[in-house]
Amino acid sequence: MNKIFGIALGILSAIGGFVDIGDLVFNVAAGATFGYQLLWVVVVGVVGIVVYSEMCGRVAAVSGKAVFDAVRERVGFRAGLVTLVASEVVNLMTLAAEVGGVAICLQLLSGLPYRWLIALAIVGLAVVVWVVSFEWIERLFGYGGLCLLVFAVAAVKLGPDWGKVGNGFVPHLAQNNKLLYAYFAIGLLGAAMTPYEVYFYSSGGVEERWTPKDIGLNRANAIIGYGLGGFLSFALMITGGALFLGHGIEPEHLGTIALGAEVPLGQVGLLLALVGILFAVGGAAIDTVFAGAYNLAQFCGWEWGRYRRNAGAPRFTLTWAILLVLAFAIVMTGVDPVQLTEYAVIFSVVALPLTYLPVLLVANDREYMGQYRNGRVANVLGVLYLVVIMVVALTAIPLMILTNVGQN
Amino acid sequence: MTEIDIALNLLDHQLLDKDGRRCGNVDDLAIEGDEVVAILAGPGYWPQRSRFLGALGSWLGRGRRVRVPWSEVTGIESHVMLRDEASAYGLGRGDDRLRPYIAKIPGANR
Repeated sequence: MNKIFGIALGILSAIGGFVDIGDLVFNVAAGATFGYQLLWVVVVGVVGIVVYSEMCGRVAAVSGKAVFDAVRERVGFRAGLVTLVASEVVNLMTLAAEVGGVAICLQLLSGLPYRWLIALAIVGLAVVVWVVSFEWIERLFGYGGLCLLVFAVAAVKLGPDWGKVGNGFVPHLAQNNKLLYAYFAIGLLGAAMTPYEVYFYSSGGVEERWTPKDIGLNRANAIIGYGLGGFLSFALMITGGALFLGHGIEPEHLGTIALGAEVPLGQVGLLLALVGILFAVGGAAIDTVFAGAYNLAQFCGWEWGRYRRNAGAPRFTLTWAILLVLAFAIVMTGVDPVQLTEYAVIFSVVALPLTYLPVLLVANDREYMGQYRNGRVANVLGVLYLVVIMVVALTAIPLMILTNVGQN
Repeated sequence: MTEIDIALNLLDHQLLDKDGRRCGNVDDLAIEGDEVVAILAGPGYWPQRSRFLGALGSWLGRGRRVRVPWSEVTGIESHVMLRDEASAYGLGRGDDRLRPYIAKIPGANR
């Protein structure tokens, strides 16, 4: 009974933890621009993140290795170092965007000046990471993020044309505006499969001291948690489509996204949406700051992990503190968090292949994995997604330039 | 597999000391004839792995080098296990130097 309870808790926090500022921005914007046409891309992205997080969670449970250990071992020192630098840059951009998102939410809730709230957000995040245990960080933000379910209610209440919604799940190309359609498709894939999610997920498995006994838990977390997280993405896109399509409204502000819940549900809807966004984005800020520190520590061989306590992993602790300070400096320049998010998601797509390939290689390693190595399903899907990721990585930047970052 | 083949498999793996503390990676190997004589750890060995970025990393890490005799390796699983404490080899010194400062902040042992 206790075990089932534990699994349920893990799944709940995975649902709330799936959505971050990238998903919020790209899903609502895709809905506002193309209605429900891109829903099928969310399905592709969610299956991808399920396949790869299951794999790297299993590797962590069996071998105690997190993703960046695998990166360095498998692609070699030089390519590993390049991957490290690229991932740190993208991570920092994402972190800054999430911190900006937290500050915007706090501003919408309190009406206080934005710059003060950036400082408050950074201090708040630092205190939470310093004081709260890993398990409780995951739970706190995961459960808070569940407030985003208000968008599912909002989507239904807005009365979308369900026939069209159904058609959106059938993969198809756009009749017109093909480039912009492709740009949004890549953004949605990138937002669903962001590399920091696998860095965080695999290191989290080590933090929670997973052993081969936890492989079932890992699988349930990945499939059900991320699967239902994808459900939130559907709700966001449907809300965006039902409310904004054809009105020329581009959700360029997080407040506009929250409108999606306010219009059909009133003040309560708005409040729940803002609290949900606050926890989802705040949780993602913590995931990204940890991911940055995990990667550096794993590449260098330093002690790492919240489970070692702050003083037990000093350079790891210093790294996340420095990352928070850098993110603070970036957001204080006044850069628009929503725009920063778009750049972060598109650039992160370029770093995807070098992150996912080593995971696939290690998950197949007979020596470490023994009987727990990849089965046929995981390998077929893994290779398939690697091809998808390669195509997406090669086309991301050209599409970003051709569509003028989705402005067209 | 010769001893060198086995050892090359260890390149870039995590080092653990006798208490399971993470204390560096196998950054390079010292080989004499057809025998591996030591594990080389520390950013000082990075420039020989990657000329430009490796040199930059080495400079940031102040070029520290540690040589651990092959006889100190007690086990090779998914990580490389060492016989003694990290400090006995001079490994993990960055963490040891920083620890007193971090430990002064309230809640450092939470």
